[in-house]
Amino acid sequence: MPNKTTTSSKDEFWHGVRDELPMMLGVIPFGLVFGVLGISSGLTPLQTILMSSILFGGASQVVFVQLWASNIPALVVGGSVGVVNLRHALYSASMASYLRPLPLWWRVILGYLLTDEAYAISIRRFTNMPPSHNQHFHLLGAGLTLWISWQCATIAGVLAGATIPPEWSLGFAIPLTFIAIVAPSIKSRADLVACITAGTIAIIGQDLPFKSWIVLAAFGGIASGWGVKTLIRRQQTHETGKRS
Amino acid sequence: MIWIVMIATGLINFATRFSMFSGFAPKQLPNWLEDALGFVPIAVLTAIIAPAVLFNETGTITIVDNTRVYAALVAIIVALITRSVLATISTGLIALWTLTYFGL
Repeated sequence: MPNKTTTSSKDEFWHGVRDELPMMLGVIPFGLVFGVLGISSGLTPLQTILMSSILFGGASQVVFVQLWASNIPALVVGGSVGVVNLRHALYSASMASYLRPLPLWWRVILGYLLTDEAYAISIRRFTNMPPSHNQHFHLLGAGLTLWISWQCATIAGVLAGATIPPEWSLGFAIPLTFIAIVAPSIKSRADLVACITAGTIAIIGQDLPFKSWIVLAAFGGIASGWGVKTLIRRQQTHETGKRS
Repeated sequence: MIWIVMIATGLINFATRFSMFSGFAPKQLPNWLEDALGFVPIAVLTAIIAPAVLFNETGTITIVDNTRVYAALVAIIVALITRSVLATISTGLIALWTLTYFGL
């Protein structure tokens, strides 16, 4: 393909690492908090530490330990974590055109490493910079950087667990991290409706069995946002139809 | 038991991330599905944020007398202005500590 630039795999990799570094400032406290949370929820140090490489997703892991600590049936735990992780299908779809030509083992590794933070960094490179045969090394660099710091932060949290005083309310870093992702991503009326609906269901549904409020709030938010978006679009096409 | 559930959910997580470039997914998702998926991050993350902010330690909804609500509001404003994860987390935590320290 003549219209592709040639960048070396090494350059792409280190660019990925460098671009990912600012994200560490959010990832490290979050991993630390997860390590503490795992232990205080009754998991063993080994379970807490290995969860960070088996699940490898902050939101999934937090939901997992919270549900597990409340003796929720295993199937419900798995289902709820699955719904929380559903947003990665969106990242996967948006990465697909860049990764589809790669051999299977590459796609497996990059699939494993595809998290919120690695996606956010590498999709910028894929869409804004000239394409290259080695561009997937950018995602590898970003993903590995995130993976290593996530594991180290979890281990540090497990080790520090008993010595971090509860008055520090370090657990509040978890909703704060999500606020940092959600608040700037609300760009339309439909987004706002999805946000308010999900938040309201999560609050009023607290006493429902099996902590099903997580799944209900997620689907309620998705459905309402989608409904509003569809309605607005229908109105718009109706109006432009009238004008022409 | 926990290991089985952990590995199973780990596989689900991987499958979700791998799905669209696995070779089994259609090249173009139906529009309605793509639209719906677009709301997943907001819906899921807000569902986790709301109870973590609005409930106090004893598990009752508290708004006026809850330092976390005010700290979260500060964080939301900082997030909207700076779009920085670091700035949002640090000002949110500092706001919480300050409010708690002065017993507000």
